[in-house]
Amino acid sequence: MQLTGLYWGHKLLRKVEYPHAEVLGPEASVDQIKDLIKRCGQVFIKPIFKGGVGKKGKSGLIGRAKDLPHALQEKERLYFIEHKFGNNSAKADGVTFEGGVPAEHEVYFSITDSTLYRAPMMTITHHGGMDIEELPKDKIREVPFDPLTGLKSFHISNALTELGAPPEIISPLVQNLPKLWTLYNNYGLSTLELNPIRMMPDAKGRLVPVACDFKCSFDIDNPAWKRLDLPAHLFASDYSEFEQEINQLRTYQGQSDVFVMNPKGTITAPTFGGGANALVTELLGERATISSDFGGNPPYEKMFQISKIVFKYWIRQSNVLFVIGGKANNTDIYETFRAMADALRDHFNTYGPTPLFVVIGRGGPNLIRGMSYMRDTLENLKLPYRIFGHDSAMSEVVNYALNIDMWMEKDGRKQVAESLGLESGAKKSAKQPAGV
Amino acid sequence: MHKEGVKKFPYYVGVNTLSQIATREDRVCVLNILGNESRTVTPVSHIYSGGNIVFGTMPGRSGQALDTKLGKIPVYNSVKEGLKAGLKFNTAVVYLPPSGVKDGVAEAVKHNPELKKVIILTEKVSASDARIIRAICQTNGIDVFGGNCLGVADAWNQVRIGGALGGNKPEESLVKGSIALFSNSGNFTTTMAVYLLTKGWGTTTSVSSGKDVYIHYGPREFFHALDNDDRSKGAIIYVEPGGYYEHELEINKPTVACVVGRWKARLTKACGHAGSLAGSGDDANAKEKWFMDYFGVKSIYTPQNPVVSKKGAVVTNIAYIPEALTKVMELNGIKPDFAPKGDLSLKCWFGSNANVKLPKDLDATVVKAESPYDEQIDHINKQIGAQFPRQSMKDTSAASMMDPGTQVTKVHNVSILDCSKKSLEENLVFSLLKRYPDEYGKNLANAAFNAYLNQNGEAANIAADAAREAESSPNSVLSAAISIIGKGKVRAALDASSLLLETFQGTGIETATDKFDHKALVKGLSAEAKKSLTAGKDDAAAKTLLKTVDGLGKKSIFIEFVKEAAGGNPSSDALLAAIWTTLGWEPLIKRSISKITLTALPWYSRIFSSFVGCSVPAEKQSKDSFCGVKNDELISKWSFTDASFLALIGRKPAEKERLEFSMLLGLIISNGPGTISAQGSKGAVSSDGPEDPARVQINKAFVGFLTHTGFAHGGNGFEAIAFLIDRFKGKGLADPSNKKHGIDLKAIADEYAKGYARYKADQKSLGNIEYIKIPCVNHPVFKGKEVNYDPRERFVASLFEEKGIYNVFLEFYHNLVRSLFESKVSSNVYCVNVDAVIAVILLKIVWEAFNSGKMTDREVESAAFTTFLFGRMIGCAAEIDDHINRGRNMDTRTAASKCSFVG
Repeated sequence: MQLTGLYWGHKLLRKVEYPHAEVLGPEASVDQIKDLIKRCGQVFIKPIFKGGVGKKGKSGLIGRAKDLPHALQEKERLYFIEHKFGNNSAKADGVTFEGGVPAEHEVYFSITDSTLYRAPMMTITHHGGMDIEELPKDKIREVPFDPLTGLKSFHISNALTELGAPPEIISPLVQNLPKLWTLYNNYGLSTLELNPIRMMPDAKGRLVPVACDFKCSFDIDNPAWKRLDLPAHLFASDYSEFEQEINQLRTYQGQSDVFVMNPKGTITAPTFGGGANALVTELLGERATISSDFGGNPPYEKMFQISKIVFKYWIRQSNVLFVIGGKANNTDIYETFRAMADALRDHFNTYGPTPLFVVIGRGGPNLIRGMSYMRDTLENLKLPYRIFGHDSAMSEVVNYALNIDMWMEKDGRKQVAESLGLESGAKKSAKQPAGV
Repeated sequence: MHKEGVKKFPYYVGVNTLSQIATREDRVCVLNILGNESRTVTPVSHIYSGGNIVFGTMPGRSGQALDTKLGKIPVYNSVKEGLKAGLKFNTAVVYLPPSGVKDGVAEAVKHNPELKKVIILTEKVSASDARIIRAICQTNGIDVFGGNCLGVADAWNQVRIGGALGGNKPEESLVKGSIALFSNSGNFTTTMAVYLLTKGWGTTTSVSSGKDVYIHYGPREFFHALDNDDRSKGAIIYVEPGGYYEHELEINKPTVACVVGRWKARLTKACGHAGSLAGSGDDANAKEKWFMDYFGVKSIYTPQNPVVSKKGAVVTNIAYIPEALTKVMELNGIKPDFAPKGDLSLKCWFGSNANVKLPKDLDATVVKAESPYDEQIDHINKQIGAQFPRQSMKDTSAASMMDPGTQVTKVHNVSILDCSKKSLEENLVFSLLKRYPDEYGKNLANAAFNAYLNQNGEAANIAADAAREAESSPNSVLSAAISIIGKGKVRAALDASSLLLETFQGTGIETATDKFDHKALVKGLSAEAKKSLTAGKDDAAAKTLLKTVDGLGKKSIFIEFVKEAAGGNPSSDALLAAIWTTLGWEPLIKRSISKITLTALPWYSRIFSSFVGCSVPAEKQSKDSFCGVKNDELISKWSFTDASFLALIGRKPAEKERLEFSMLLGLIISNGPGTISAQGSKGAVSSDGPEDPARVQINKAFVGFLTHTGFAHGGNGFEAIAFLIDRFKGKGLADPSNKKHGIDLKAIADEYAKGYARYKADQKSLGNIEYIKIPCVNHPVFKGKEVNYDPRERFVASLFEEKGIYNVFLEFYHNLVRSLFESKVSSNVYCVNVDAVIAVILLKIVWEAFNSGKMTDREVESAAFTTFLFGRMIGCAAEIDDHINRGRNMDTRTAASKCSFVG
């Protein structure tokens, strides 16, 4: 859950009365834009992306205009622009017009939770407006502070003094930056970054630290962000439809963390435990449809609902249903297997049978009861299967599932389809129920 | 601000050696002790650790206790209250929900100055709470473990605190040895301990660290404590991406680091430069590098590339840990703690190819599981038959479901459209055994049903006649009869079924027609048992039944067994039991049905026979014949479908009629668990209490179904028949199956439609919206298009066409919906719905008898209703058996809060 840009950022900054550049949204009229240019001398036109999208500036995604025609030209260029970063891409949906902020000094500022210090930490430099990763360490200060007392003026003044920052910028920053801790702490943020903060002289010549960009991420486990009343669609692009459906079941009892790995994958693996999830996802690679962690002893009903959703989205394209986990400490194998078996039966009843090979590796409480329930269900669904105990190396079980997948791809799927009385093993697209 | 602990740390760390993490002296208070997770985990920890839990808290539950084998653990409202009661502890274990964790820790810290350790099991604690918890505990000199961890354990001390390391049998995984464990994954903490056993390594202290943003007890502290622990000669650390906890560690004892999660890098979306700063240098690649640098190795250890140093090795797969550790330890001259226990090769515990040919290398054979799981598997394998978990079955069924989109119901996952292609006897067997019988099975079922068809002199039939005489409806007539088919009436057959099950359940027989020498089993039977299987003098049907089943071309182990046990003269009850055991054995072994079902099959069978038998008045049944057909002939030559047709119409059906009749019955089987008839049968089961299945009166369950049918549900089929009779009266229709009937169907339809249009307009102008609707046209789901079809009717119509069956009434209906549209009664062409199909088939069958005056209106109405009951009997049998196997006592009741009062 991330927010980037001033369009939404300025609304957050207002909560703590932190100064920010003037900003107009995509709905701005020609007159408003004209007026903004008149007042600020120039405007920056920035595409609005949902969620985190990497570095926009370097990718030529920021336009600058000193007159209206130019501003509208940039608006047209950037309004639906597509931005590729790493393995991801995002499409803009609108632009903002941000008033230029004349300044001599640019400051970088962020707050995160530091795993090094195990405390909240401020990062600051007066060499802002550039990639901070590229700055030498002696030009940055990282200052952990006590969460009980929060970020204080002295943290800022000490850091800036140590950095040798120009004296005229210290006082306005000391006065304003602690407000950002309030924003960070009160609304469940896990990262907050303002870069650049431009030190703009006010009418009396005093410098004001104006936020000219905004980035933050939220702690998904902290409901405080809901106090901000942000529209839910802002975070929708962070998750696929499938992930969103699963996330609705997110409660503290039992994990339900999922990622879509490959929408065209052929192995669907409900995985139990973070460790198993890491190992299995790595070994399955591109063949996995999803990466999941359903450990933490989910109750029957939750596991049943999760399985139903997983099967609805992925099972018809899959060759292998792969249920895998280590030797569970507390997760009741009978309850979780019963839920998955019932959901599979339910899926077959609702959407019709589909050619599938089931591979299972698991250990834990109520193991044999759970395995035998699964066995009985699979026998009744007439599916081929192998169930391995926890005394088989998990990676070997993963390799077995991979080999089964390759065999299914070659001619196994066709054979299983025939044995189920289906006409062919042709894959149906996800969510396309048969027989309805 | 923090208290001073171990001096080398810039923050508070109290634990100086691993042996201090989980000791026998630690005394524990569990917060939220009666919560779901704690309730199962805490007693195991308590017992394993020799009773180290002093008390637990849960607001509002003071005075209660958590039972363990070592005695009760008292529960108090709060920590303060527990301390006030004189109890002392130094370790708090937190099972509170995430929003309560911070407050729970604050409470424990505030009230207990002796607190030294806090272990947080809870997942999804927010980072803001985690940093405050850390700050509070740092200030007060308390070590925190977790959150989102599985606690800590010590195999030497036999103590585990918080969480469930080692699962419900910690002693299996946590075996005393020389290796310390630190793991981001709770589950892998145990899994790695188990893996280590395969190379002869046991453990000292195991720490499940959790993998939240704040890991309170991190690797730095762990390696410091490792150095000071003389018991630990080496360590395993399992780490995942994210965080700098492993950066710049000081590792002084041989260690294997397992770093996983390279793939996670591509899912991470760093948030700005801050995200890059905090999140990019700590991915799996970076962590691998850190550890490789500590150990001075150049690459990751794999069996093919076994790179180790004296200091350690880095693996990315936990399966390689034992091997890598052994090699590292070898370089240090340290031998394993004990002989290897087990190995990590693939061991398949359960498997099936399901009629598919697997390549040899993938065809993993099932092997004996390690102890004690082998015994459990043996035990479960001996438990033949399915065991269904019990739950509330109100409005719920595992037998039937209706697809709201197609309105087609499936029974045991077979669409009723497909069921309608099967015979009555096949569907009856299917309803209980969840699979259709083969030819032999079908013939066996026919013999069993027809052997008990004739009700001459039976109390059930006398009751039925009395009800009939009192002008009761067909369902009431049959209710009276079926009430009398109680358990006492079928006890001999049920006892024989139980005897067969007991005798054969340990034999490993998979199908009833396998080859099997039953001599020893017969020999083992008591004289009394043998006698119970032998026919008495007045058992008239026994001989015919035996002769019939003997002549079916196959030999059933069970029939042969009762024959031999009864000295060649088995009773009809014994044969009935043997027939149903023959039919049910394979589904039992394949765990499709339970033992409860298998042993009750003869009862169902007798009820089915009585249903049909008692639908015929006593005057048409004599000692030797039924509706004019000799009993022997019925048993040996007739199908139950034909016998049912005989009961209703008084003659054997022609070939096409048989097909239509079966189709008719098949279409009526079920409309899902919500239908009133199913609700009636389920309520009857529920009220007897299925949790003690022996007490459920199966005949009463059928009575429940029967009493939940009536003139509106089941009897309404006659409305359509009456409607058709009115339309065709005096039109000279001789044979409804003859396409050349010479009747202008369109003219009849047009005439009716015009009349109906007038009638409808008149009624509307009078303000009467309750005007008479035309039966069997239109449908709430299949409507709104220009021309509408009910897919179920289309299915039957196409089947008719395929089989060369013509039905003038169905064609009339199609004319009618068009005429209604043309007369502007409807705005589009209504569908002809599936109820029309039922009416037209039945009317066609009785037309000749009705037209010639052999059947009265009333008899036709009765036949229509009874036909519905025959068909629905199939679906309700499935519901009854399902509810008996899965339901709970009184589970169909509706909570008072969901009921409403109207008045």
